[in-house]
Amino acid sequence: MARRVQLKDVAYARSGDKGDVVNIGVMAKDPRAYKLLEKYLTASRVKEHFRDIVKGDVVRYELPNLDSLEFVLRNALGGGATRTLMMDQTGKAYGPNLLRLTLDVEESDE
Amino acid sequence: MKSIRLGCGSASWGDMLDPVIELAERGDVQYIGFDHLAELTMSILQRMKVKDPKRGYIPDLVPWMKKLLPIARDKGIRMLTNAGGANVEAAGDAVAALAREIGIRGLKLGLVYGDDVLDRLPALRAQGLKLANLDTGEEDIDRVADRIVAANVYLGSEGQVEALGEGADLVITGRATDASVYIAPMVHELGWSLEDAEKMGAAITIGHIIECSAGCAGGMSNFWKDVKEPWRVAFPIAEVFENGDAVITKPEGSGRMVTEWTVKEHLVYEVHDPARYLMADGVADITGVKLRSDGPNRVHVTGCRGMKRPDTLKLCIGYEEGWIGESEISVCWPDAYEKAQFCERFLRGRFEELKLPVLEARYDYIGLNSIHGPLAKLPSNLDEINEIRLRVAVRTTSKENANLVRREVTHLWTHGPVGTTAVISPPPPRQVVALWPTLIPRELVSQRVEMREVE
Repeated sequence: MARRVQLKDVAYARSGDKGDVVNIGVMAKDPRAYKLLEKYLTASRVKEHFRDIVKGDVVRYELPNLDSLEFVLRNALGGGATRTLMMDQTGKAYGPNLLRLTLDVEESDE
Repeated sequence: MKSIRLGCGSASWGDMLDPVIELAERGDVQYIGFDHLAELTMSILQRMKVKDPKRGYIPDLVPWMKKLLPIARDKGIRMLTNAGGANVEAAGDAVAALAREIGIRGLKLGLVYGDDVLDRLPALRAQGLKLANLDTGEEDIDRVADRIVAANVYLGSEGQVEALGEGADLVITGRATDASVYIAPMVHELGWSLEDAEKMGAAITIGHIIECSAGCAGGMSNFWKDVKEPWRVAFPIAEVFENGDAVITKPEGSGRMVTEWTVKEHLVYEVHDPARYLMADGVADITGVKLRSDGPNRVHVTGCRGMKRPDTLKLCIGYEEGWIGESEISVCWPDAYEKAQFCERFLRGRFEELKLPVLEARYDYIGLNSIHGPLAKLPSNLDEINEIRLRVAVRTTSKENANLVRREVTHLWTHGPVGTTAVISPPPPRQVVALWPTLIPRELVSQRVEMREVE
C-alpha cells in the first residue's frame, strides 16, 4: 500500500544560479521528513520532474546536519542568466517548482 | 574570547540603502562589507569604462558613501566593497573627491587591483592556456576569442587584508569574491592565517551566510507569511569568534527576522557540493555545521570546517552573443487563451515573412505558465480565464533585428483580436553577453594594493 506525499507539505526550498547551473536546497520540515526525502527524493526523480526544462545532469548531495538535500541541475537555465530567454533569469522559482513533485511513499515509511 | 561584529551592506548592484544606514547607526559593528557584483555586472561595467574612462565602477558607490562615510567616521566603522568593478582607480578618484567635498579629512582608501586579465588573455593563450568552459566542457576558448568583452578573476581576500593592515578606512576592489569582503576583516582582526584551512572554511561559511544581505534575514523566504511589516527590511550582522564560531543577528529594533530557518535557507543557497564549497580563499565544508537559536534574532553557528585552498582561481569571461528583443501584450476575456495563441501565430508568421534571423525564440503566457513552464498545470476553466499577457523574446543577430521584434508586437494592437491592448513600453533591445566560466592557475594572478589618503 502506498500513499502520495507532495514535497510542498514536507519541505521548504530555495534555489539560485551560477552560470547555466541551478541549485535547489531542499529543507525537510522535520527530521522524519528528512528520512523520507533521503529515501525517495533521488537525483533521478528530480531529473525526471524537470525533464522538459533541465537539459543536463542532476546531482544530489546530503546535509543530514541540516535535514537538507542539495540538488545541482546542469544546463538548466537556457544558457545562464545573461543570455537566457526565460523570465526566471536567475532560477529563483525552481525551488517552488520542485515542491510540486509528488512522491509515492510506502505505508511503512511515516 | 576575542570577537568582531561585521555587517552586510549589500548583496548586489541596486540593493537597498536604508537598511545599511540602520546597520551603521545602530548595529554596533566594526566593519561593513558590500558585494555589488553579479555575473553580468562586470561586462556592463567594462562597457561603461570603454565609453568613458572615468566610469566602469558601480554608480551607487558615490551616493551611498555620501550617506555612509560620515556615520562610519563617527562610529569608527571600516568598510570594504567590490564596487570598484571594472575601474577601481576611477572609483577611488570619485570617492576621494566626495570625501573632500563633504569634509571627511584624512580618509584612508585602500585600492586593490589584479582581477582584470582582459588585456592579458592573448598572452595567456599564447602560453598554452586553453581556458576550457566549466559549464559546457568546451575545451578551447578559440571559437569566441574575437568576441570577448570582459575577463575577471574571482580574487580572494589577500589584497584586502593587506589594505586593512595599512590602515584603510575604506577598501575598494574589483571582482573579488562575494565573501572576501567579510573574510578580510576576520583574518585581520582575529589573527587568522590565510593558510589555515579550518579557519578559512569558517570564514567562507560565515561570509556566505551574510553576503546576500536580507537573504538570511527573511528575504526570498519560505517564511514570508511570518513577516509582519514587509517594508522594514533588515540586513544581517555576524558576530564572529576567534575559534571560528559565529552568531548571526541583526540591528536591535530592526524589522524582519533572523531564525534557524532563515539562516538555513541561505546556508543551502548556491553552494553546490556542500562538502566542497570552492572559494578563492579556501574550500568550506558545511556538512558539519550546526545551527542553534540563541535568543530572539540570534542564531549560533558552529561546526564549520575547511580544506586547503584550491590551486586554481575562477575566471569569468564574457563574450558577445547576439541581441535580445522582447515585448508583451495583453488579451482579454472571452477566449483569452485562444486569442493569445492567435497572437503567437501572428508573430511567428510575421518573423518568417520578414526573414528575421531567429537564433532562439520563446513565447510565454503570463498568468498561466510563464514561470514554471511545462510543470505548471493549466486551469480546467481555460476558456473562462479573464486575461493573459503574451510575452515574446527573440535572440537575434543585431540591434536592428531585436527592435523589429518590439515593433511587430505593437502591430497586434491594431491587427490582433478584439480587445488586444496594453503594449506599454517594451524594454529596449539588449546585447547578450554570454559567460564562459573557466579556471586560471593561482600563481598567474597577483594582487596589488594602492593606499591613498584624502587631504
